[in-house]
Amino acid sequence: MYFRVTKNHINAIKAANPYLILSTVTAFVIGLYYALIQSPPDYIQGDSMRIMYIHVPSAWFALMCYTILAGSSVLWFITRNPTFNLVARSIAQIGMMFTVLSLVTGSIWGKPTWGVWWVWDARLTSMLLLFFLYLAYIFLWQAIANKDIASKISAALAIIGFINIPIIKFSVDWWNTLHQPASISKLSAPSIDVSMMLPLSIMTLASLLFLITVFFIRFRIEVLDNKILRAGDEI
Amino acid sequence: MKELRIEDLNCYRGSHLVLKRLNFSINSGETLLVRGDNGSGKTTLLRVLSNYIRSYEGNIYFNELKIKEDKNYKNKFTFIGQKNSLKDNLSVKKNLKLWEFLYNRKILPIEILSEFNLSQLIDDDVSSLSDGQRKCISIQKLRFSESILWFLDEPFVFLDEKNSKILMKKIEDFNKNNGIVIVTTNIDLGLKFQKEINLNV
Amino acid sequence: MYNLILRDLYLALYSSANFFYTSSFFILILVLLPFIFGTSIDQLQLLFKGTLWIGLSLSIILTMERIFNTDYEDGNLDIILQKNSSLEIIVISKYISHWLVYCLPLFIILPLLSLLFYLNTSDVFAIFLNLLLGSFGMIFIATFVSALTLAAKRTIFLKAIIMIPLFVPFVIFGSGDNSWLILLALSMLSFVVSIYVSTYGLRLYGES
Repeated sequence: MYFRVTKNHINAIKAANPYLILSTVTAFVIGLYYALIQSPPDYIQGDSMRIMYIHVPSAWFALMCYTILAGSSVLWFITRNPTFNLVARSIAQIGMMFTVLSLVTGSIWGKPTWGVWWVWDARLTSMLLLFFLYLAYIFLWQAIANKDIASKISAALAIIGFINIPIIKFSVDWWNTLHQPASISKLSAPSIDVSMMLPLSIMTLASLLFLITVFFIRFRIEVLDNKILRAGDEI
Repeated sequence: MKELRIEDLNCYRGSHLVLKRLNFSINSGETLLVRGDNGSGKTTLLRVLSNYIRSYEGNIYFNELKIKEDKNYKNKFTFIGQKNSLKDNLSVKKNLKLWEFLYNRKILPIEILSEFNLSQLIDDDVSSLSDGQRKCISIQKLRFSESILWFLDEPFVFLDEKNSKILMKKIEDFNKNNGIVIVTTNIDLGLKFQKEINLNV
Repeated sequence: MYNLILRDLYLALYSSANFFYTSSFFILILVLLPFIFGTSIDQLQLLFKGTLWIGLSLSIILTMERIFNTDYEDGNLDIILQKNSSLEIIVISKYISHWLVYCLPLFIILPLLSLLFYLNTSDVFAIFLNLLLGSFGMIFIATFVSALTLAAKRTIFLKAIIMIPLFVPFVIFGSGDNSWLILLALSMLSFVVSIYVSTYGLRLYGES
C-alpha cells in the first residue's frame, strides 16, 4: 500500500491554512523592513538593487518548482500514485507565477543597471522559455477532455521539458559566446555583502512560506476536484 | 467450434466504471446484439474486444486463448467504428486505393461499391457523399481482411431500409460461414439476432 | 512498413498540391526578405540562412497534424494500429514518409533559392548539410508531439508552443557555422526520445 491523501490530511491542511498565511505575512513584513530600510544601498547600483530581494528568491523558486513538477511526474509514472500527479499540477501554476515575477523584476532591475529592459543573455532566455514550458504544461492539461489521459500526457511533457532546459541553457550559452561576448562579464553574479545576506535570507524564507501556503490551497482544491480520496472519506 | 468468451469484465474510463461485471459468450455462427443508451459503454466494449483498450479487469478468450496474449488475434477481427476512415478531400476510388495499402490487399473498386449499388459514385469526392453512402463504403472495410470476427459499432445508423437489408443479408451470410458478429445499437430496430445483451442496468 | 510509407506517399500524391505547397511556402517567405530589408547583398545573405530555419520550423509546425492527428480523427489510425505488428514500425514509417513529403521539397529547391540570394557553392553546401541534419531532429520532435496530443483536437497553437522551445537548440546550432556534428547529435538524441514518447502516445490513444 502506498501513501494516499485522506480526509484527515485535507482537514489538517485546511486547519493549518490561517497559520501559514499569518507566518507568510509576518515573514514578508520583517523581510521587507530589512530589505528596504535596514540594509545599506548598494555601492554602485544604489537603491535600485533592492529589487534583488524579490528577484533572486523568485528565480530560485521558479526553477525549484519545475524540478518538483518534473520529479513528481517521474514518481507518478513509477508509482502510479495519483497524489504525485496532483502535486505536479498544484505546483505548476505557482512555478509559472514565480517565473513571471522573476522575469518582470529582472526587467525592472535591468533598466537602471544595464540601461535596457532586456538582455539576450543565456539565463534570461532560458527563463523565458521556462515560462512557455509551464504554459504548455498547464494548457495541454486543459485542452484534453479525458483527464486521465491529460494527466499522463502532461506528465510526459513535463519530463521532456526537464531534459530540454539544460540543452537550451547549453545551446544559448554557446550562442552567446558566439554573438555577444561582452555582455557575459556584465552579467556575472556579483559577490554578496554580509549586510545583504540577512534580508535576502529572510525574503527567501518568506517566499518559501508563500509558496507552501499557495501550494496547500491549490493542492486541496485539486484533491477535492478530482475525488481521489478513498471511498468513505467524505468531506 | 470457436468461441468468444468474456469473464467478469470491468472497465474504467477515468474514475468512472463503464463496463461492470460483464459476462457472455458467443459461438461461431452467432450474432450478438448489444443494446444500451448513449454512454453505456457499447463502443468501449468493442474497443476492448479489438485490443485497443488494454487496461481492464477480467479475461477475454477467443478460441481458449487470451486475446491480450494471442499474437495472431489482430488478423482475426475487423472493427468498423463510427469514424469512416475516409479522407474527405479525395475521391472514393483514391480512398479505396489507400485502404489497399493499409490492408495490404487488392480488391477491384467496382466489386466493393456494387454491393451497396454505389458504383456510379466511384469518381466523386467523399465530401459530396451523404452520411449513409459514406457509412456503406465504410462497412465495406469488412472485405479487406479475412476475419472471423466482425465488430460493428452502430452500423445501421444513417442506412436506409434497402441498405439495412443488404447489411442484414451480409451478416446472415457471414454467420452461415461460421463467422461471429457483434453489433451495437441504441434504438430498437426490430431486428432479430441469436443473442442479445443490454448494457443499461 | 513499406506499405504504410507507400500509403502516405500516395495520400500526398493524391492531394498533389502538397509538394508545391511546401516549396511555394519557402519561396514566398524568402521573397518577403528583400521587401522588408531592401536589396543590399550582404544583409540578404545574412538573413537568408536565418529565414530558412524559420521557414523550416513553420512548415513543420503547420504540417505536423498530418503525421497522426488527421488519421486519428477520420479513423484511419485504428486500421494502422491493427494492421502493423509494432508501434515502433508505425512511428519510423511516419518519420520517413513525412520527411519525404514535407521536407524533401525544400532541399530540392534550396540550390535554386541560393542563386536568388547570390550564395557561393561552399556556403550553400554548409547550409544544406545543417538544414538536412536539423530537419531530421525537428521531424522526430513533431512526430512525438503529434502522437502525444492526439486527444487535443484543433489546438495547433498549443502544439506550436510545445514545439518551439524544443526547436530552439536546432535553430541555434543550425544558424552557426561548422556545427553539423552537434546537429547530428541533437537529432540522434531527439530520435531516442521521440521513438519512446511517440509509442507511448499511440498506446495511450487506444484508451481515448
